[in-house]
Parts: sequence; structure tokens; C-alpha cells
Amino acid sequence: MRKWEEMQERSFYESTARERAINLVDKGTFTELLAPIDKMTSPHLPILGEAVSFDDGVVTGVGKIGKRPVFVISQEGRFIGGAVGEVHGAKMVATFRLAQQSYEKIKEKYPNDYESRIPAVVISFETGGVRLHEANAGLLAHAEVMEQIQHCRGKIPVIGLVGSKVGCFGGMGFVVVATDMVIMSDRGRIGLTGPEVIEEAMGKKEFDASDKSLIYRITGGKHKYIMRDAAYLVKDTIGDFHKQVAEALKMSYDEVQSHRCIGSLKLVEEQLELVKIAAENNFKDATDVWAYFGNKKSDQIQDQFYDEFIREAKRRPRR
Amino acid sequence: MEGNRKRWDTLKRDRMERIREAIPLVKMGKIVEASNAVKLLETVIKPYDKVTIEGDNQKQADFLADCLCKVDREQVHHLHMVQSAISLPSHLDVFEKKIASKVDFSYAGSQATRLAQFVKEGKIEMGAIHTYLELFGRYFIDLTPRVALTVAVSADKEGNLYTGFNTEDTPVVIEATKFKQGIVIAQVNEIVDKVPRVDIPGDWVDFVIQAPQPFYVEPLFTRDPANITDSQVLRAMMVIKGIYAEYGIQSLNHGVGFDTAAIELLLPTYGEELGLKGKICKYFSLNPHPTLIPAIESGWVESIHSFGGESGMADYVAARSDVFFIGPDDSLRSNRTYCQAAGHYGIDLFIGGTLQIDKFGNSSTATASRIAGFGGAPNMGCDPRGRRHSTEAWLKCGREDGVQRSLIGDLPRGRRLVVQLQETFREKMAPGFVDKLDAWKLAETAGLAIPPVMIYGDDLTHIVTEEGIAYLHKCSSLEERMAAIRAVAGFTEVGLEEKPEETTELRRKGIVRTPEDLGIDLSRANRSLLAAKNVRDLVEWSGGLYHPPAKFRSW
Repeated sequence: MRKWEEMQERSFYESTARERAINLVDKGTFTELLAPIDKMTSPHLPILGEAVSFDDGVVTGVGKIGKRPVFVISQEGRFIGGAVGEVHGAKMVATFRLAQQSYEKIKEKYPNDYESRIPAVVISFETGGVRLHEANAGLLAHAEVMEQIQHCRGKIPVIGLVGSKVGCFGGMGFVVVATDMVIMSDRGRIGLTGPEVIEEAMGKKEFDASDKSLIYRITGGKHKYIMRDAAYLVKDTIGDFHKQVAEALKMSYDEVQSHRCIGSLKLVEEQLELVKIAAENNFKDATDVWAYFGNKKSDQIQDQFYDEFIREAKRRPRR
Repeated sequence: MEGNRKRWDTLKRDRMERIREAIPLVKMGKIVEASNAVKLLETVIKPYDKVTIEGDNQKQADFLADCLCKVDREQVHHLHMVQSAISLPSHLDVFEKKIASKVDFSYAGSQATRLAQFVKEGKIEMGAIHTYLELFGRYFIDLTPRVALTVAVSADKEGNLYTGFNTEDTPVVIEATKFKQGIVIAQVNEIVDKVPRVDIPGDWVDFVIQAPQPFYVEPLFTRDPANITDSQVLRAMMVIKGIYAEYGIQSLNHGVGFDTAAIELLLPTYGEELGLKGKICKYFSLNPHPTLIPAIESGWVESIHSFGGESGMADYVAARSDVFFIGPDDSLRSNRTYCQAAGHYGIDLFIGGTLQIDKFGNSSTATASRIAGFGGAPNMGCDPRGRRHSTEAWLKCGREDGVQRSLIGDLPRGRRLVVQLQETFREKMAPGFVDKLDAWKLAETAGLAIPPVMIYGDDLTHIVTEEGIAYLHKCSSLEERMAAIRAVAGFTEVGLEEKPEETTELRRKGIVRTPEDLGIDLSRANRSLLAAKNVRDLVEWSGGLYHPPAKFRSW
């Protein structure tokens, strides 16, 4: 395993779930829970003659950033596209529960000084959503994770990171926008229905899944940043994600919450207003939306490198 | 006596007659309206003609191919198609419509499955499956086209053609047709006052048609570095250290694939580290592969001659005229015939991937239900027996040859390195090594004269798998070659026959070398060694000159 310092320079997109988990927290602080050595594997896959993974495609554990415990969930796209099965989901849920227990203990131990020590949950999403081989358990896991996010509200910040190869699709596309804050790189993608499925259902004229450029315009980090589905856009290194999470942990809880996409009447109204704008303007492509929000050279945005984009991008104003 | 005198200009007279019949269709000069294209074909093509449709690897005479499907089959039938690529559905539709009946070709690509079906159902009489050079050669022997349906970027009123970035097969197709009194029809994207450069002189062209749509080009040679695996990186390290460095390979051809893309992307990193810059990989016969950009930019490559172009590479190539062959108009001049000839005689090494290698070392990309053809790989993936110039790499490979002395005594003679890259288990766990090639089954089901073999075992010098390199040419018997193949064939049925004591002996002799034997640190064999990890990185390396097609723009 390479040094932590080296790994901070490493492409987040290129990294495995474990590399991300270990290096998203401060050097030497990560402890993996239910690691491969525990061999907690899917009970369903062997029945179907499919190979299992000793971590069921997700790395869970705890580390620290500064004084604060950070509970990490990191999905591995190389195993069945990071899809969520029963064990995978249970590990996610258990991590949330541990974070809440940790919150209570810290509060008890440091009644006057707990705010600077409260834990956080960080999820590095890399998933296509439900694992179809164990669909019921997978769906249930999605619901349970949503419930856990609700349990954390008012107490523990939940931060979603999206910048890995598979992106964040399917049911987990719903979960990620239910977190308090989404951090992406411009290589990250968030969506519900995958491009191939849209093409199959609606036809190639509506959505050409072989057009990678189109996919990125619709689901990519730059679009999500302009639309404020992503609170922050960072460069594609583990270190940049680490730094942005550390910045978030310096914020007050209310400030973190201010980046939520949904979760209050006001936010729901804001989303509905967007639907209205889209219908009224009959946008043909993401570039039209970017132009609507004041990006004059919207056709050049896609080719802009990070610094230029951050400097010039006009984002959707918040109410 | 007068009445018995044999006429020696029947072809010419026939040609004049056909052209004369077509005159009413000509709008001006040599230009025929697209709406008259079908009529033109009905007029100048006669039953049983040999006809070539320019279906290159990349640019396609797609409009003329569609028009040929629309001719009246009462007037035009039993055509014998002699074309290098069967790549569009229309190339087979002409057989379905009983306009054409026989084919001689080189490469079938995406139509491979349907072609096999047609042959099986008796819709097509199969002539032979050729390599490119072989088919082009026969254009001048016994397969000379009577009519050529070709394609260019633009034409002027005199019929001068500009083939632009993808010249590919156009010169050879036209030369063979025109000078044997045939008829040349070109579809072009536009008709201009003056072409940017004359690739084909106007008096070699009979008719020019502006097609309603620009011709179709397929980006066949772009491999997204994002899809290169760690296993491919390992094999690339082995190739660079165990073959390129070992033999000092200066001139070469890379087959297209992720394996060779990995090698290209390791030159500026791993190759640089081994101090190989300037010592290897200086001269290529190669399409402008985007994955070669980092090596070119780092000063590795002196010269590249290309079979055809590649989508998105025009500006980059134009700006690197020291490296590529560029016309006075500043765009690439590619030429499949010359490049194949250059690759056959001029290079020291060919390397490429394959689908199956049998226990004897024969390799094939055929499966039981697809007639994919050969394209150009066998022209480079063989030892050119007519080669007479020497290089150090060629001589070293000859010196190591285990049987040469028993054939020609102590006379020094070199040998082409022919390398196959193979993963022991390929996609969907298909074994890369098999007891018997699927090509046998294909030959049987499609009624082919011989199983289509891409590279014969006796031409193959090296196999590289993640298990190691087999230096097959060093072997002195078929038995020894088979043992060397087993040693690198992993857990396939062929590899499971491996005898450890044999492998130990082969390693001692240097016929088999594992990554450890080569001194390769396995922990470094991962994607972080790639000079570019995605298409965006390639754009950055190119200084913004490379403009990838939308399907590769993952950002």
C-alpha cells in the first residue's frame, strides 16, 4: 500500500474503494470494520452461481479528521458495478448506527465541548443502485439508508462524494441527493435511470447512450455544480476530496445543512420551481440550462479545465 | 484474312460504349446529379461485371453502396464484388436483392455474422478471404474491377479528387480499374472550384456525384485509456522490457487494441525510466492512434506512415509534419497499399492481440458464427521471406532461431518478430488458448476451403500473457514450442497440460520468462503507470489539437 501522502495526489476516479476510504481521513487514523478478513459475503450470489466478494463491494470503517470521528462508507464499482445487496446495505446501515452511538457517547463525555467533536458520515458513492440478484434486500437497504439519514438530521452531518468511475445511479441517485452536502469532481456523474436504459425506453433520438459527451452534460459534475445539486466541485484527487470534507467539518451544522437539495418545504418548492422553468423554456440540452442561468459561452463549458470553469461558472441562484 | 483479324481493344470499345450511353445523365463536365446516380449505375454496370465499392476501413462510399442496392435487377445482376471491406449493411443487401452473387474481400467487421449467415444460406458465393495487399495484388492479376465506386472528400469539375485525411484504398482501386479500361465513379462530399490537393488526377475519373450526406467515417482506432486494465499494463511492461528493449526494436506496427494502447501509454513513463528513449519505437506503420500522442509529444517517435486517418486527429497530425506524411495542403496523406507494403517489408516487429491461440501457436480471430476476414494484420504478422536488408533486431531474432541452421546452414539470416498479446482468459471468461481453433468449425459451417488463420504458428515468434513471455522462435521442435505455449497459457485447457519440470527447463534456456525473470515489480503493474488515463488527458497532451468524437468525450 502506498503512502498516505502519495495517495493524496492520486486520482479519486482511478482509486479503489479501500484506497479512497483510507485516504479520505487523516493519515493513519482509518480502521476498517467488517473487513474482507471477516468474510461477510452475500448469501444470495452463490445460489445464482455468482462470485462473492469478501467485503460485498463496500468498505466501511472509521477514521478521524482533526478531532472529529468520520464514519466512512466507500462503494467499490469493480464488484457488480457497486450495486447494493443485502450485506452491502447492512454494512452501510450499521455504519450510520455506529455514528449515532458515537454521537451520544461524545455528547455524554464532553457535555460542554461536544460540538467540535461530533462525528460525521462520509459516503463515497460508486454504484448503479440495487443489486438485481438480491433486489428485495437491495431495495430495503436503500430505504433503510434513507431512514438513517433522517435519524442523523439535526445531529450528524452526512456528506456524499461522487467522483468514481461508475458514478452514482439508480436508487442511490435518490440517496445521494438526500445527504446534507454533495461534493463532486467533474468526472463524477449522478443520475437515476442509467443512459442505456433511457435509450432503450425512449429511443436513440431522445437519448443516445453512446454519446459520452451528452451523458456528461446531463449527469456530470459540472452540470450538478451549476444546478447546485453538488455543493462543491473539486479536482480529481483524493487529497482534494479530503480537503473539501475537512472544510465542511469546520462549518457549523446549519451551514452544512444549507447545502441540502431536499428535506424542507422551502427546498421542495425550490425544486418544483425548477421543474416549471424547464417546462416553460423547453430546454433541448444542458447547455440551454447553463445559458439560462447566465453562462454566456455555455457551449465551451464542457471543454473548460477545472480552474477556468470554477472561475467563470454561473450557478443557479438559490431562493 | 481481313475478317478474321482479332480485335485487341474490345475492353476499350466496351468502355466507350458504356460511357456514351451515360452521356445524357451528365449535368456538366463529369458531374452527375445524385438523383441520377441509380440510373448511372444501371447504365454503366453490366451483368457479371466485377465491381468494387470503396468500403475502406474508415471512409465509406456509402451513398453509392445504397444506390447499387436500388438498381433494377433485370438490368444488373450476378455482379462479382471485389472489395476490401464489407462494413455496411448495404454491402450485403446487394446479395439479398440478387444484384450481386459472388464476393472476394479482406475484412468484414460489423457485418461478419450476417456474412457467415449469407454464405451458409447460399446467398453468396465466396471467392476468397484475403489480406489487403493480397486483394490489391489480385486487382492487377485476375480480379480487376470493371467498375469502381469510390469516395473522396471533394472534386472539381474536371474530376480531380481530394481524398483528404483518409486516402486509404482510393489510389489502388482507381489505378487498377482505370488502366484496364474500367469505369470510375466517385461520390464526394462537395464539388469545389479547386481541390486543396490533387490525390487522383481528373482524367482517371469518369463520373463525379455529390452525395446528399457526407460519407460515413468510423473511429476504429481510438481506444479510451480509461478502459485499460492493470493486467494490460503488466503485459505492456513485459513487452517493453522483455522484447522492445531486449531486441532494440526501432520500427514496428501495433495492431489496434487496448493491449497495444497500454504499450503506447507506457513509453513516456516506464520506457523513459528504463532509459529506452531514442533506442526503441522510432518508426511506425500505423494509423494516427490517439494513444500515441504522449509518446510523440515526449519525443519518442520520428516517423509514422498511416494506412488511413482517425477521427479527431486531423489538426494534431497537421501540426506534426515532422512525424506524419503531410500533403502540400497540410493534411495527412494516408495510403493503405503503401503502408501495408511498408509494414510488410520495412518493420522489425508486429504486435497485436487475438481471440484464440491453439496448442501449436496458430492464432485466429474467427468464431464459429462470424466471418471477420483478415484486413492487414497478416501482412505484418508474418516473416517477409523477401526481406534482404538487415537491422540488429532482425538479425538477433534470426540468430536465436532454433531451426534456421537446420534449413540454411550457417548463413546469417534475420527474422521478423511477430508477437501476440493474449490474456489467458478473455472477456466473459472465454479461454485465450484452445486445443482446436473455432476457425475449423467456421470453415466447415461456411464451406470455406481452409480455416481462416490470422497468424500461422511458424510465423509467430513471441506470445505474451500475464504468466510470462514464450520466445517460441528459440524452440527447436514443435514439441518444445507446445511446451512453451503451455507454460504461459495459465489455467486454460492448454495451460493445465503444463509439466512443471518442462517449464523449469524452458526458463533455464530463456525460452520462457516470467515477470519475475524479467525483473518486473508486479506491485507497480497498475494503471497509475499510464501516461494518460483517459481521453481528456490525451487532449491535454495534444495541447488541445486532438478533438475526440462525442462518443469518447467522457467529461
